[in-house]
Amino acid sequence: MTHLALSRISKDFGGATVVQDFNLDVKKGEFISFLGPSGCGKTTTLRMIAGFETPTTGQIIMDDVEITNKAPNQRNVGMIFQSYALFPNMTVAQNIGFGLQIRRDSKEAIKQRVDEMLTLINLEKHANKYPYQLSGGQQQRVSLARALANRPQVLLLDEPLSALDAKIRVQLRSEIRAIQKALDITAIFVTHDQEEALSISDRIVVMYEGKVEQIGTPFEVYNFPETRFVANFVGSLNTASAEVTDPAKGLLNVGGVQFVTASEIASRKKGEAIRISIRPERFSFLSEHKKDNVLDCVIENITFLGSVVRVQVKIGGASFNMDTFNNPFLELPKIGAKEQVTCSKNAVLVLDE
Amino acid sequence: MNLTTVKKHGGKIWAWFWMILGILYFFLPLIATFLFSLRAKLNVLSFTAYQHVFNDSNFVYNFSYSVLWGVLTIIVGVLIFVPTAYLIRLKLPQFRIPVEFITMLPFVIPAIVYVFSLVRTFSQPPLLIVDSPVLLVAAYTVLSMPYMYSAIDTGLRAIDVRTLTEAGQSLGAGWGTILFRIILPNIRVAILSGAFLSFAIVIGELILAQYLVKPAFAPYMTYLIQQKAYEPAAMAIISFALTWAAMGVIQFIGRGSGGGEQSQIAGGH
Repeated sequence: MTHLALSRISKDFGGATVVQDFNLDVKKGEFISFLGPSGCGKTTTLRMIAGFETPTTGQIIMDDVEITNKAPNQRNVGMIFQSYALFPNMTVAQNIGFGLQIRRDSKEAIKQRVDEMLTLINLEKHANKYPYQLSGGQQQRVSLARALANRPQVLLLDEPLSALDAKIRVQLRSEIRAIQKALDITAIFVTHDQEEALSISDRIVVMYEGKVEQIGTPFEVYNFPETRFVANFVGSLNTASAEVTDPAKGLLNVGGVQFVTASEIASRKKGEAIRISIRPERFSFLSEHKKDNVLDCVIENITFLGSVVRVQVKIGGASFNMDTFNNPFLELPKIGAKEQVTCSKNAVLVLDE
Repeated sequence: MNLTTVKKHGGKIWAWFWMILGILYFFLPLIATFLFSLRAKLNVLSFTAYQHVFNDSNFVYNFSYSVLWGVLTIIVGVLIFVPTAYLIRLKLPQFRIPVEFITMLPFVIPAIVYVFSLVRTFSQPPLLIVDSPVLLVAAYTVLSMPYMYSAIDTGLRAIDVRTLTEAGQSLGAGWGTILFRIILPNIRVAILSGAFLSFAIVIGELILAQYLVKPAFAPYMTYLIQQKAYEPAAMAIISFALTWAAMGVIQFIGRGSGGGEQSQIAGGH
């Protein structure tokens, strides 16, 4: 059953359309990420759900109640901000209890709930500290507890991890996900970090220039990008121009070399120009395992990335990146060496323009 | 000693020279006035002039009124300028420059011109309030506007007004709660600095009180200058001491601020 529905939402700012025809149904307890580059409209969409912006057209429905024009303080949504937005004049406990005070809960009820929340975020010992006495990660956990204390119907997270350093970011995102699952709360998470979105979400909404490019699970979005933008934005990707040589057999000419694809191209005409994409990790050296495409190549460059080694190869007239796991016991080929690489026909995706 | 070292030392010497010159310029008249105020008795340094001032019921009467005008001016100023500055920062940023220009007008309009226009406008029906203390407090509020408004605006600039407001809203708070429980406490030091500057202005203000014929400290001091020699000097020192005490209170409160982000003394000109 749909818990939150955004129907044909659009938003104009002074004649410029920043969100166009946005449609999304969110189930109860689902973790949805809005992923896209800066200015793609993801935060604006989140702010429309929070009530800080009013849609130019469209409807927002939460639990069968239309909230499109409700004031932010009349919607039961919790919001977490990139800058934490803790009240500097209040202690951790006062921050967490603020929303409950506004709701006029009894003192005992507030204390009990604040204690519960402090336990949830493992900051029981910091209840009487002021925000400036906490680290960034601790402040964001307090912000999470404050948002959850009111038992919101939906939790909105606006790039909550962007201001934190890399290790804390990874740790806190796991904590957020664990708490969200434990409380079975619906969450909408805005990020421009694809790794964050892929690791934390049930579904990802990829946005570009105000439009939804693709909605799908992390697996679908990463492995089966529906548009060229999604393919380029999510993960590393090789793209190349190709010409259809045999639509029925899925044969393509890429830079003078024949590739076979499992993508549906039967409806394309022979000689039609298309674009294909292949993830770097879908290539492997022929010595490992032979797949549908066996391709002669020349090693152009090798870049060491820690657990992964990125090898740039020239296949015919086109250059591709290939990712291979770093194995200290295997010798890498030399730059300029002639090798053979292979990839399956499923790896060769035809992109919609 | 190379050329760079010579230049460095020369710069330091000049910095000290200008600083000492500034200190002398400020403190010499004050020291002279203080020494003069101690000479009420022939050939003896004493606090006689100060005793005379504090024993004079007119001093207490006029000073009390000035304190009252000062407190009322601060209350009215806070009630008007905090919501205005907050609204402009949050919802109407396009009005920031025009409003800042308007708040600076008391600096360029002479007080004498201002008071005559007040008397002319409010001494005839339907706005016959020239005799009311309301007009004096309103006029003082306008006069203190550059200090009060800029102090509040500086305080608002130091916090993330928009995000704090939105955080409050998402937790169910209305505008009043946000303003009084979130915004005001976080610009407390800025408001205090504006308030004490306003207080200092009101305490020393002569023209408005004199032409609107209201009891106040400055007209009384002017009157005393015409009558006595040492007591006005003592009163000048007292007024300085009061102003400095006010500044000390700001510093003290600012140091005790729990927020940690609000330690600036804002709005000084």
